[in-house]
Amino acid sequence: MTPDDAVSAAVALSGVTIDPAWHSSVLTNFNAIAAAANLVLAFPLEDMAEYAPVFSP
Amino acid sequence: MSGSQVDAALAVIAAQNPVINAFTDVLADRARGIVPTPGPLAGVPFAVKNLFDIVGLPTRAGSLMNRTHPPAAQDATLIERLEGAGAVLVGALNMGEYAYDFTGENAHDGPSRNPHDPTRMAGGSSGGSGAAVAAGMVPLALGSDTNGSIRVPASFCGVFGLKPTYGRLSRAGTFPFVSSFDHLGPLARSTSLLALAYDAMQGPDPRDPAQSRRPKEPVSARLDLGVAGLRMAVAGGYFARGGAPEANAATRMVADALDVTAEIEWPEAARARAAAYVITASEGAALHLDRLRATPELFDPDTRDRLIAGLAIPAAWVSRAQRFRRWYYDRVCALFENVDLVLAPATPIRAPLLGQKTLELDGVTVPLRPSLGVYTQPLSFVGLPVAVVPVWPDGGLPIGVQLIAAPWREDLVLRAAARLEALGVARVDRGRS
Repeated sequence: MTPDDAVSAAVALSGVTIDPAWHSSVLTNFNAIAAAANLVLAFPLEDMAEYAPVFSP
Repeated sequence: MSGSQVDAALAVIAAQNPVINAFTDVLADRARGIVPTPGPLAGVPFAVKNLFDIVGLPTRAGSLMNRTHPPAAQDATLIERLEGAGAVLVGALNMGEYAYDFTGENAHDGPSRNPHDPTRMAGGSSGGSGAAVAAGMVPLALGSDTNGSIRVPASFCGVFGLKPTYGRLSRAGTFPFVSSFDHLGPLARSTSLLALAYDAMQGPDPRDPAQSRRPKEPVSARLDLGVAGLRMAVAGGYFARGGAPEANAATRMVADALDVTAEIEWPEAARARAAAYVITASEGAALHLDRLRATPELFDPDTRDRLIAGLAIPAAWVSRAQRFRRWYYDRVCALFENVDLVLAPATPIRAPLLGQKTLELDGVTVPLRPSLGVYTQPLSFVGLPVAVVPVWPDGGLPIGVQLIAAPWREDLVLRAAARLEALGVARVDRGRS
């Protein structure tokens, strides 16, 4: 499965079909998200690092 | 007296809105029918981004689909509080669809236009809020800011803006975008008005479960305290890279005026922006899932394709981003043990042309739409209070500078903004249309 297929399949899991006319734009947007995620995932966090679901500064 | 302020505002709106397109709803009858409450904002006309509930209107949030919603039965809490202080609501303002936007463009209502050059963007997503204030239609407007949507239009339109600390102001009665980051706040033609509005809107509201229970901390009486004794620094590194020369020039003008010579390195700003980007895409997609399933063709295509992409994000990415957020917050708080106020550009460029799709950052061409928040996202990611002041570094268009403080220290950012306004370094020039 190519990354493109994986994105389509993941979106389909949510019950949304990507119109062929939108496909390229959706992939471009997903690649931008993936690039951002890779930057986050590259940062080492200890297992005890707390999640911040509702943020209260 | 108050009637004359409202009538004057309605006349300016009638004259300017056909070009600027800041207002989507003008509430002349409601405004003229109100006897303003005596108070610090008595008779001051104001308008709100159209994601605020207004009695009798469907809350469209810049979208086509929400127009079929039932009309709101109650005004948003912040509208009630401004009117309780005497202000008069005159209308609802254009915005980027569902607030997923930094441009102020809207496929359904047309773009908000920059009053200083109507061929250029007002910024978004609170584009109508920035444009209405800059054009002199109203002296005060409310917007929302998830990743920079008050601060980007304040920068492009050359007005004062305040994004308070996350949880400070009630979000009740407004259409959400990303609950983790959604803030509401004012844009205004002066720091005194910004502070009066902020003070009037404070206070606990049981209708907003994410709001802090912190008591009111009014700032208006403290605006004149100035910045003497404050430890201040310019954000270097990430915030000094990538922007156009005028972004750095504006920050330098503010630093010189406040006699700031120190520079600090902000920790992990690029990664903070990246984490905000991932969480935004995921939460936004989840919020709109039913609409994406049922009527994807009714979205603005630019919004729709970003939201659909967000549906494909693995949960582990979002969890990691939320855990990084906690780490980052601790480091940012540590930074504020040694400094009270930090200066940074609000946007990397001045208002781009309407329809522009890319911009150059650090010599690299990047998509414009998500990139205008490069300097705002790392700050709202952990809910810091930020004021934007409008600066005119040369004979061209304005550009904003962010004044940043530790959580709950809105007083410091507003005091610094007031000082810059008093010095004439930060000012609002009326736009031409």
